[in-house]
Amino acid sequence: MLCYTYDGSFDGLLTAIYEVYYRGEDPKKIKSIEGLEQNFLDTYVHISTDYEKSRKVYNSIEKKISRDALENVYCVYLADREEDKDTYIYEYLKFGWKAGSKVDSYLSDDRVLRVHAIKRRVDREVHRMMGFTRFSLLEGNVYYAPIEPDNNILPLLAPHFSKRLPDQNWVIHDLGRRIAAVYNTREWMIADAALLGEIPRTDAREETYRQLWKQFYSNVSIRERFNPSLHRRLLPERYWRHLTEKW
Amino acid sequence: MPEALCFSNKVEGWCDLDTLDKLSILAEGAKYDVSCVSSGSSRKNTPGGLGSGYAAGFCHSFTTDGRCISLLKVLMSNDCVYDCAYCVNRVSNDFPRATFTPGELVDITINFYRRNYIEGLFLSSAVYKNPNYTMELFIRVLKMLREEYRFNGYIHVKAIPGADNALVEQAGLYADRMSVNIELPSNDSLKLLAPQKNKEKILGPMGFISTKISENKEDIVKYKKKQYFVPAGQSTQVIVGATPHRDINILKLSEALYKRYKLKRVFYSAYIPVSNHPALPAIEKPPLLREHRLYQADWLLRFYGFSADELLSDSRPDLDEQLDPKCDWALRNLHLFPVEVNRCDYETLLRVPGIGVISAKRILTARRVSSLDFDDLRKLGVVLKRAQYFITCKGKYYKGIIMDDAFIRQNLVRENMMQAMKSGNMAEEYRQVSFFSNGYDYGYDYGYGYGYGHGRGHGLAGAGDFGFRGLNIQDRDFRKSLAGIGMNTGMSMNMGMGLVQGPGMDIALNIGGMNGVNMGMITAEEKMKSITGEL
Ligand code: SF4
Repeated sequence: MLCYTYDGSFDGLLTAIYEVYYRGEDPKKIKSIEGLEQNFLDTYVHISTDYEKSRKVYNSIEKKISRDALENVYCVYLADREEDKDTYIYEYLKFGWKAGSKVDSYLSDDRVLRVHAIKRRVDREVHRMMGFTRFSLLEGNVYYAPIEPDNNILPLLAPHFSKRLPDQNWVIHDLGRRIAAVYNTREWMIADAALLGEIPRTDAREETYRQLWKQFYSNVSIRERFNPSLHRRLLPERYWRHLTEKW
Repeated sequence: MPEALCFSNKVEGWCDLDTLDKLSILAEGAKYDVSCVSSGSSRKNTPGGLGSGYAAGFCHSFTTDGRCISLLKVLMSNDCVYDCAYCVNRVSNDFPRATFTPGELVDITINFYRRNYIEGLFLSSAVYKNPNYTMELFIRVLKMLREEYRFNGYIHVKAIPGADNALVEQAGLYADRMSVNIELPSNDSLKLLAPQKNKEKILGPMGFISTKISENKEDIVKYKKKQYFVPAGQSTQVIVGATPHRDINILKLSEALYKRYKLKRVFYSAYIPVSNHPALPAIEKPPLLREHRLYQADWLLRFYGFSADELLSDSRPDLDEQLDPKCDWALRNLHLFPVEVNRCDYETLLRVPGIGVISAKRILTARRVSSLDFDDLRKLGVVLKRAQYFITCKGKYYKGIIMDDAFIRQNLVRENMMQAMKSGNMAEEYRQVSFFSNGYDYGYDYGYGYGYGHGRGHGLAGAGDFGFRGLNIQDRDFRKSLAGIGMNTGMSMNMGMGLVQGPGMDIALNIGGMNGVNMGMITAEEKMKSITGEL
């Protein structure tokens, strides 16, 4: 079985899709090379990223299919723990170039359904993390937030926080992926977390507000309505580690 | 806490040593006010300012009772001069009092916001000194936040009943949303339980705010006016279960408020006993299931095109406890069904149980490119377990369904309950309904201790349990046989057993599954009544 591999970047993925058409091959799968365990029954062809080719595919998705489709593809690409996401994207696009702008109306077609389902999961996590991200003030006047999301959502979180907290320096650190979004009151960028160096200590003022917040949190629950299972469903335990009020 | 720590980089310090205690007292006092949603207002960031509203709002955390925390919801003061019987803050209640200074509250708000703890501020208060004084305190907080700190986050502020319109108006220029709580659904109950309030004091400011909102909307169009007045609209809250009002009274009130005052939301708050005033009911637990059903009905009013009269009537003044209001309505209107999913219009789709706003829209989209069958509907998110009785796909019914009121009702009730069990929402309340109401309910919900006689009848429909149901053996005609036995095997083992003769009784037994061992009994007499009544 033929499988294309790419370097893990969005441009890499689009280049691979370009090559499918250019070479007239029909790979059964497309996969990121990162952490890939090769299976010796399959044939792997590595596609090296080419910005020009990627642009062409990008534009073609936007023009021949739709802006929404482009957004779907990007969001699904960010679901980096989804084993077959690249193949799903590829099949969705193949169908998309046939169906045109109506592709997202085929809500019961598996190729469309899968992409929509993953997109929804990513959207939900982004929405959640816009609320669950917790900043602490560090020495040196930087607000620092460690996160461990299921999807690679920094590129979607950063623009939100640059609007919400525009007059403070902040860093959002994706611990699992070892990358960080860094903002300096003017612009943000995503960088390798190693560049952050040693994380400074928390500012002396920090503890006060943490205490106040925890106090508030413990006071607003209504004992008569206690409902732990609902609580856990809405605020899954895997997020608790970084929630100040749960410390 | 050391005083110096309270100063943020900008605030001229206001934190007293006892800020922590104050926050704890004043958050405690505000928590019963449920209308804490921050939506409907998207403020753009002003240059150099802090924060932005976002139309859909975020939950920043959840309370252990499963409510969304998005705003710093506190009282300015709990030191009330009024004496409302249902309220902890009433002047006659002997308990600790506290009042924030505006600076203190602003400091907490700004610092919480910078840490992304909150979406904004929800400012409420007891009547401190007098209504105008309290309102003026609010205005100082709002002004400081919006002007000094250029805070663009969400602000919800209460209009204190009895305050001057001029002050209400001023606050409205800074707030995203305002609310005046109705609390009690009639003037008589206000007189009895909140002697210093009356209908005029509440509806007065409400009407004033609603007029101002629409004037402001026109001004913005006409004069390109920049300053908004309460852009996210106003809301109110009604307490449920503190007075003898029926659901129909409450729902009709809401309907009128939506129409007349263009309210954005009416919130319902199950009464939690806080005092033993003789005019208040002595209840053990807040009526949460009732509150839940009211929210569902309210949703139907706002988004599904239903009217209160369709849902309730004088002869049926309360919402069904076992069944959500939409299923209940559909069952009473079976003559309107089935509808053909591939053809009927949006409004009709919305009225089908199991089809919500999102799935109805998806159906419209999807059927433009291909006609849909049941399998497609499932993929679009339609809850077929509910919808199956009310729709056809390409002219066909869902396979194997039986169009019989009682049968459908039984299945929908079970579906309602399974859903509650699965989501954890209202699970406990459902258990309550099934445990403590009469045997009829019990057998129904718990063990299906009796069978359903449809046509030949399925003897004992096995003890339907909330776990997984497996094989279902059902073969006896109840009305003829003396006993019927139903059994489900699967993930849990359930057994139902019925005896129908003389003073016999019905036994349902669940073993295993989520609920451990449950047993239910109803008398044969009751059972016969329920069966014959249903069929
Ligand atoms: S006026 Fe408000 S705070 Fe005061 S007693 Fe009445 S309900 Fe409570």
